Amino acid sequence: MANKSTPLNPTRRSVLTGMAAGGALLTTGLGARFAQAQSSEPIRIGFQLHRTGIGASYGRWYERTATAALNVLNEGGGINGRPVELVFEDDGTDPKRGAEVVEKLTTQSNCDLVMGTLFSHVVIGSAPRAGELKVPYLVCSEGHHVASGMLNRWTMQPGITDVKSQVQGMAPFVTSNLGKKITMIFPDFAFGHDHRDYFTAAVAAQGGEVIKHIAIPPTETSFTRYFPQIPSDTDVIYHVMVGPAVLTFVKELGEFYGSGARPQLFGFIDSLEAVDINSPGLEFLDGSHFWEGHPRYKQADASEHEAFYRAAVGVDDNGASVSDPADIATYAHMFSTWETLFVIKHAMEAAGYQGPADRQKIVEAIEAMTDFAEGQAHPQGPKTFNGKTHQTFGLQSITKVEGGKLVRVHQTTMEDGFYPDEVDYTTMSF
Amino acid sequence: MRWLAACLALIPGAALAHASERMVILTLPTGWYMLGAGIAVALTALAGLMAGRLPGFRARVLFERRAILSRTTISWLAAFAFWSLIATGIWGTRDPLGNLLPLTVWTVLWVGLTLASILFGNLWRDIEPWTGPARTIRHLMARTGNVGLSHLCHWPAVAGYLGFAWFEIVSLSPADPLDLARVAAGYYLLILALAVLEGEDWLERGEFMTVYFAMVSRIAPFWAEHEETRVKTMAGLPGAQILRLPPLTPSAIAFVTLVLASVSFDGLTETFWWLARLGINPLEFPGRSAVLGVNSAALLAFWTVSAALILGAIRAGLPHETFRQGVGAVMLSFLPIAAGYHVAHYFIALLTNGQYAIAALNDPFGRGWQLLGLPDHWVSFGFLTTHSGVQMIWMAQFAVILGAHLLAVLLNLKLTERFPEADGVRAHLPMTLLMIAYTVFGLWLLSSPTAG
Repeated sequence: MANKSTPLNPTRRSVLTGMAAGGALLTTGLGARFAQAQSSEPIRIGFQLHRTGIGASYGRWYERTATAALNVLNEGGGINGRPVELVFEDDGTDPKRGAEVVEKLTTQSNCDLVMGTLFSHVVIGSAPRAGELKVPYLVCSEGHHVASGMLNRWTMQPGITDVKSQVQGMAPFVTSNLGKKITMIFPDFAFGHDHRDYFTAAVAAQGGEVIKHIAIPPTETSFTRYFPQIPSDTDVIYHVMVGPAVLTFVKELGEFYGSGARPQLFGFIDSLEAVDINSPGLEFLDGSHFWEGHPRYKQADASEHEAFYRAAVGVDDNGASVSDPADIATYAHMFSTWETLFVIKHAMEAAGYQGPADRQKIVEAIEAMTDFAEGQAHPQGPKTFNGKTHQTFGLQSITKVEGGKLVRVHQTTMEDGFYPDEVDYTTMSF
Repeated sequence: MRWLAACLALIPGAALAHASERMVILTLPTGWYMLGAGIAVALTALAGLMAGRLPGFRARVLFERRAILSRTTISWLAAFAFWSLIATGIWGTRDPLGNLLPLTVWTVLWVGLTLASILFGNLWRDIEPWTGPARTIRHLMARTGNVGLSHLCHWPAVAGYLGFAWFEIVSLSPADPLDLARVAAGYYLLILALAVLEGEDWLERGEFMTVYFAMVSRIAPFWAEHEETRVKTMAGLPGAQILRLPPLTPSAIAFVTLVLASVSFDGLTETFWWLARLGINPLEFPGRSAVLGVNSAALLAFWTVSAALILGAIRAGLPHETFRQGVGAVMLSFLPIAAGYHVAHYFIALLTNGQYAIAALNDPFGRGWQLLGLPDHWVSFGFLTTHSGVQMIWMAQFAVILGAHLLAVLLNLKLTERFPEADGVRAHLPMTLLMIAYTVFGLWLLSSPTAG
């Protein structure tokens, strides 16, 4: 069973030609780089990929970002001097297949650990199997399920912040700068309820008030009849609509308000992830604000690491593929695969990882981590890791649509996203 | 599954929208297109009835040449390619969009070869991998007899297609390289054994791919007619071949209705409408495993309903005494619709996964090769999110669906000319209404909101 590839750097074409994965690494002049390792066996990292199913659009960019990170990782000497392979396995964005994939990657493909899962239901369906197999399972999901305590000692989320932290972090900016009377429009299911519950509480803590909750049925594709419910004294509309009707939602909201005065708009980029902000129908969003986990448009003060990351993944300054300006990346989320891979590197090196018998040491090494400094391994920014809850915390960006771009107007502090621990996984047995 | 359902109900988390052409298409005035298409079908039927004279659909020989390779040789080459692909599925990359087996089966053959066959005739005949090996094995065994499989007409092909449709539309991992390799290898060996027992000519009746490509290629404007060592290249209006076919047998009728129903069902299962019927939130579709049972049953039910509607419309149009002899002929007019639905439904898969197929040829073993000279990040889907890109896709799908139905209406008028006892308006009204409904339904499937 072969993995997809183990390209080694952004100029892989010249380096990799004719080179097989694994043993052939030693024939290409790269052998010296890995010669210090006690074992020259590649480290095999299983990647649970949403290649098909409803997560496929994210999966495409997750694969691309993880592959780019792998290039950089191997170019820098791999892990513990050993080359690294990623083994991509499609889970169909299906929890039942997800559990099977975790098992396949662990028992058939002999992967040292498994990473990369995005959709919450797949994480929730797969994590128990990872626990049974006693294999580290590092998810890139942004769901609160890790930190809520519902999973297990083997499941961790070191590469991306969770939605509770993100939503909570937005409240101070919204109430201080946009207004204190807020109407929330959200899809009427768990995702929307998360936003409703976390944001309503966070706004109240800031002295603001959510004056109206408008829950939209998930199958709705026209929204005009809901807009009259928006109270006239609303300062801010907080919207988190998702699904194929998002463009329709914005278009109809624009038609509802026309060219007259409207409340401030604040949204989560999840609504428009991988969608060009300049798409016809989105003109109404001009001047509105968004949460972005990682700003799609390269900011004026972007770090050198940010520039390096974009170049490695092949994303231009507008967040689009370098090969197609219309192909917008899932930029706000995909950095998590990159950063998770480097967390794995540091954990394995700290644990002196030799092979599957040391899997528990990886978990313990990550639990012992507290901070990730901004750098090439963490281009999105610095993070604080909570070993007890297995959840990372970081800086969130609030961007404003200006001149057809998303321009950062505020960055939260680390503390804005903190909340009391809901679990201590370190007290659980392996 | 119960614990999982409970977890899903309780646990919120990331529900992530993503860019798809449906996001843009929902902003297009597709309702007007559906109305216009329905009116166009109705007017075509009316004009055809009033005109009294329909196109001749004549065929002519473009040129004639000697066959370059024998069918046995070509088929052996195809068998070698087939087993190479099976090996790729077993030992190649686990990524279904990087492995040439799923890309070849689901994109190159199922979508690309269908499209090519609709334009240039039955190309499957030139690449099918059973005839040569079966012929050789029978020759080596000195076997000349059969076991009577041919008496089953097309029913084995119906069963094969039903299994294939279920595997594609309902099963958990049709694109998984290893799963697909196992299924394809098993199916190949089964069919080879049956062809050895019955004789390779049985393939044209009993093997579903062979039957399928023979049927959809009947609307091609160009096609080949094979004799012993000669090949005639023919040309004619789309449908010219259909009018020269004998009436379909009951098993062939079942096959055509199944092809129609399965493609429609594939589109239907992804719609918000269908998921709402199942009580599933399309914005957090829980995956195929959650709908395996219900969609298995629904596939059969949908086929039954589709067949009943079609046969009911034919029955309503033909006098009682004519129905038995006429239904097989009139059913031929549904071949363009089956082909058109297929092309329109899979058009985006061709544009997207087709890129992965080319990229896999560029670097078939994931070694960083550049056999075709493609640059990094060549695979690109920006056209699915731009207004112009989606408009062009929609227009192409609209043209295919409408064109297929207009052709079907004309063929239906032409085929019912064989039954003078069938009164004009009475004979055509039920079928015309069904064609209008099918046109609108096809366009609705392509433009309604879907999960994923």
